[in-house]
Amino acid sequence: MRFGAILLAVSVAFAGGTVRLLNVSYDPTRELYQNINAAFAKQWKAKTGADVVINQSHGGSGSQARAVIDGLQADVVTLALSYDIDAIAEKTGLLPKNWQSRLPDNSAPYTSTIVFLVRKGNPKRIRDWNDLVRPGISVITPNPKTSGGARWNYLAAWGYALRQNNNDQNKAKDFVGRVYKNVPVLDSGARGATTTFVQRGIGDVLLAWENEAYLALNELGKDKVEIVTPSVSILAEPPVAVVDKTAARHGTAAVAKAYVDFLYSPEGQEIEARSYYRPRSKEVAAKYDKQFPHLTLFTVDEVFGGWQDAQKTHFAEGGTFDKIYQPGR
Amino acid sequence: MSQGKLWMGFAVIMGISMSAARAQTADQQSADQKIQQLEQKVDALDQQIKIDERKKELEAEDAASKAQNAATATADTSGFTIKSNDGNFLLKIGADLQVDNRAFLGQGAGAGTDGILLRRVRPTISGTVYKYVDYFFRPDFGQGTTIIYDAYIELKYFSKAKVRVGKFKPPVGLERLQSDDDTSFVERGLPTLLVPSRDIGYQISGDLLPNQLNYAVGVFNGVPDNGLSDAAVSGHRDYDARLFLTPFNGTSVKALSGLGFGSGVDGGGVDGEPLPSYKTFGQTTFFTFASGVTEAGHRTRLTPQGYYYAGPFGILSEYTLTEEGLKKGLVQRDVAYRAWQVAVSCILTGEKKSFLSPTPKKSFDPLHGGWGAVELAARTGEFSAEHGVFNYGFASTLTSPRTAREWVGGVNWFLNRLVRVSLDYGLTNFGGGAAASLGGNRAPERALIGRFQINFI
Repeated sequence: MRFGAILLAVSVAFAGGTVRLLNVSYDPTRELYQNINAAFAKQWKAKTGADVVINQSHGGSGSQARAVIDGLQADVVTLALSYDIDAIAEKTGLLPKNWQSRLPDNSAPYTSTIVFLVRKGNPKRIRDWNDLVRPGISVITPNPKTSGGARWNYLAAWGYALRQNNNDQNKAKDFVGRVYKNVPVLDSGARGATTTFVQRGIGDVLLAWENEAYLALNELGKDKVEIVTPSVSILAEPPVAVVDKTAARHGTAAVAKAYVDFLYSPEGQEIEARSYYRPRSKEVAAKYDKQFPHLTLFTVDEVFGGWQDAQKTHFAEGGTFDKIYQPGR
Repeated sequence: MSQGKLWMGFAVIMGISMSAARAQTADQQSADQKIQQLEQKVDALDQQIKIDERKKELEAEDAASKAQNAATATADTSGFTIKSNDGNFLLKIGADLQVDNRAFLGQGAGAGTDGILLRRVRPTISGTVYKYVDYFFRPDFGQGTTIIYDAYIELKYFSKAKVRVGKFKPPVGLERLQSDDDTSFVERGLPTLLVPSRDIGYQISGDLLPNQLNYAVGVFNGVPDNGLSDAAVSGHRDYDARLFLTPFNGTSVKALSGLGFGSGVDGGGVDGEPLPSYKTFGQTTFFTFASGVTEAGHRTRLTPQGYYYAGPFGILSEYTLTEEGLKKGLVQRDVAYRAWQVAVSCILTGEKKSFLSPTPKKSFDPLHGGWGAVELAARTGEFSAEHGVFNYGFASTLTSPRTAREWVGGVNWFLNRLVRVSLDYGLTNFGGGAAASLGGNRAPERALIGRFQINFI
C-alpha cells in the first residue's frame, strides 16, 4: 500500500499535477471533513511529497447515494448508513458487495448516537423518549424517506419502545406513531431540521446526531439550548468506503485508500472526537470520555436484523413509516 | 368608649381589611392565570405561524429543487428537444423534408419524367439515455416507399472508442458520410454510387487526435453499391475502415486549417447478392447488369478522399474504385468500376464554407435586411466500368454505357439554418449505352432540379 502510494505520488509529481479526490458524504459531516481533509493533505504531502485536494459533497445520505448511482464521480463515500453504500454496490458494481468487511469496525471509523436538543432550561421537562409523545410536545426530526439521520432517530425511538414493552412490535409502532404525531414539519435532511429548530425557533425538542447537537450548542451558546441524553439510544455507525472502480479510473485508488485509513489513525480519531463523533480507538475514547455521556446503546443489527431488513420493513414504499406518519397539527 | 368596644371595633376593621386583601389576592391570581394562559396562547400561535412559514419555506425549497431537476423543453435550430436538467437524458424530434421539381430538357432516350415529388420525408427521433448512450432512428417515407434509413445505438463512454450498433452509414465514402442537408448539390456525385448507403453492423470510431485524426472500423452485413438492404443475403461480412485527417485543424497554420484528407476501404466476400443499378444526377437508371448475373467471390472498395475549405470557398474531391467478382452461368470474373468527382463551391454572402451547411449571418427577413446565404456550386465527375464487364457479358453496351461524365452547376439559397432552396442543372454525357444505329452512345441527360428543403435533427 505504501509502495503504491509512493508510486502514485512520484508519478503525480512527474506529471506536475495535483491529486483530486471527491468525498461524497452526508449532511452533518461538513465540519468534520473540512478538518480531516486538511490534516490528511498535510500528512500525505509530508509522506509522499504530492499535493492532494479533497472535494466534499454533502446532502441527505439517501440522495447522495442516488447521485453516485446516477454518475456522481465519488472516489470515496462516507454516508450515514450502510444501506446507502449497499445500494451503490448493488446498483453500480463500483465497489464489491462485501465492502463493509474491508475495513475495521464494519467500515465505521467513528460512531455517534441520537440525543435531544431542547430549549434552555428544558421548559417542557423532556428527559427521555417517552416525553416525546406527551400532548403539546413539538418534536423536530427530518423525513426518514430522505434523511439517513432521520432513520436513525426513528429506529432509536422504536428500539426504546421495544425495550419498554417487552419487544411488542405493535406497541412500538403505536409509540413511534405518537412521536410523529407531534412532528409539525418534516425537513428533508438533518441540517435542515437543525435550521428549523435553531434558527426558525420551531419545536420543543430536536432529535439530532450527537455531533450536530454539540455543534448547535457551541454555535448558539449554552444560554439558548441544552443537550438531553436519553436513557437509551441507538449506536449509529456511519460507514466509509473507497469507490473502487471510480478511483481506479481516476488513478486515485491508492490515495483514496490512504484517506479512509487515515480516519482510523490516531490523528484522524482525535479529529473525529474533537468534532463530537465517538472514536473507535480506546485510547482516544478514554481521552475524551468526559465529553460523551454514558448511555445504553443498541445496534441496528441487534434490534432490527440489519439495515436491509430495517429499510424494507420501515422505510420502503408502503413500509411502517408510511402507515404511521400523519402530519401533526 | 369601653376597652371592650374598642377591641371589637379593631377586630371588625381588621376583618374587613383582611377580607379585602384576600379578595385582592384572588383577583391578582386570576389575572396572573389569565396572563399565563394568554402567554401560552400567544406562544402557541407564534409556533403555528413559524411552522406555517417553515412549511412554506420547505415547499419553496422543494419546488426550487424540483425545478432544478425538471426537464426542459426547447425549440431552436437544433430542432425540438426535451432534456433532463443534468443533460443525461435527451429526446430530440427532427425532420428532413425535401420537395423536388424535376425537369428533363431535351428528348434523350433515357430522359426521366418531369414532375414534382417528395424526395425525402424523414422524421427523426434521436437523443441520449444515461449520458453515455445515444440513439438515432430515421425512416424515410419519400417517393412512396417506407424504408428505415438509420436505426442505431451508440455507446460514447470513451470518446476515442465510441461503439455503434444498428443500421447506419458505413465509414467508406466521404460525400456519403456528409448529411444531405450539408451537400452543395441536390443529388450526390458519381463516386457515391459505388459505396454503401446504409448497412447493418457494428462500428468503433473516435478521434485519435482530437479534431485532427479520426478513425472508424466496422463489421457489416455487406450491401451492393449504394445499397441499404435490411437483410444479410449471404453469410459473408464486409469489413470497413476509414482514416481521416485534418492535421492543421486548430493549429496556427490557419491557411490549411480547412484541409482534410483520408481514405475509406471496404472488403468482404459476396455470394449471390443482388446487383446494383447506377443512376444519373436526374435519378434515372443508366447502368444495369444483364439478367442472370450475380455477385460471387470478393468485393473491395477503395475511396481516397479529401476537401479543402478556406473562407467562403470549398473544394471536395473523391475517387472510388470498386472491384468485385461477378458470375453468369459458368463465367466468373473480377471486374472493376471507377468514379471520381471534383466539386467546388463559393458562398457569395460572406459565410464560411465548411463540410457542414452554412449558418446565414442574417436569416431570411427582408423587411429587416435579412436575406439568408447564397452559395454557387459546380462539379464534374465520371463513372467508368472496365471493358471486362461487357466482354464477359455481365452488361450490354447496348443498354449500359461504359462511361458517364457529368457536369453540374447549382445555386443554394439558405433562408436560415434549417430551410434551403436549391436549383441545380446537370448534364450527363455517356460513352456507349445505345445501339450503333442510334450513334452508339446513350443520349445526354439534361436535368433541372429545384428543391425546397427543411432539415433539423
